[in-house]
Amino acid sequence: MPSIQPRIQAPDIVAKGEVFEVRTLITHPMETGLRKNAAGETIPRKIIHAFRCHYNGAEVFSADMHEAMSENPYFSFYVRAAESGSLKLSWEEDGGAVASLEKPLKVEA
Amino acid sequence: MSRARVVSAIPRRSILRSAPIASFALVTGAFLQTAHADAIDEAALIRQFVGGTATPSSRVHVQMPKIFSNGYSVPLTLFVESPMTEADYVRTIHVLAPKNPIIPVANFSFSPQSGQAKLSTRIRLAQTQDVLAIAEMNDGTLLLGRGSTQVDVDGCK
Repeated sequence: MPSIQPRIQAPDIVAKGEVFEVRTLITHPMETGLRKNAAGETIPRKIIHAFRCHYNGAEVFSADMHEAMSENPYFSFYVRAAESGSLKLSWEEDGGAVASLEKPLKVEA
Repeated sequence: MSRARVVSAIPRRSILRSAPIASFALVTGAFLQTAHADAIDEAALIRQFVGGTATPSSRVHVQMPKIFSNGYSVPLTLFVESPMTEADYVRTIHVLAPKNPIIPVANFSFSPQSGQAKLSTRIRLAQTQDVLAIAEMNDGTLLLGRGSTQVDVDGCK
């Protein structure tokens, strides 16, 4: 997925113990494998089937997706602030291509 | 001729043209068959796709718009009331759309570090239906919540 630009919206600085929202969007057609092209041939399935969010190495949220997820998958989810570090997001497409994004996070006592 | 009389004349004429009793019986039969096919064994779907039996619970909230004409991108918010501690948290929320051609939608997994078991996303719906959310707690308990949206455009084509 070389041309795909994943995006994240999350605070830069949070208070320790605070539960904050993370919002992400990635551009992807999420081809279901149910549609046919003009010639009547089935367009093969190609979706992002997995999304993961790791906070300082530990997984805090993930989504295992099927065909019913809309194109350009969007997520809003929550993370409880513990230590300064980073959020690492990754998306895996059918076929194994992976897009990822890392955002630093500062936690204040 | 007044407008009201024209309007009332059309249905009467069309009924006369298309009302042989046999065809009426056929239409009724087709309707009954459809109604029967619409009855969904939700417990069997949950056993098949999640494994186990889910108890309906007011702790599982499924928020969707009442009416959303475009089935390609229906907003969905899931929230499960939980303290989200090491001892008591929501491990996974399984989402099923029983009237979609492919019934499982997604599984969303959390950890105590999530802080709250809540997420928003967008899904495809083929038709108006109840979307089921089955929350799997860390002790293995399954809790069931539901939401529904009226959809006019099949989002799975």
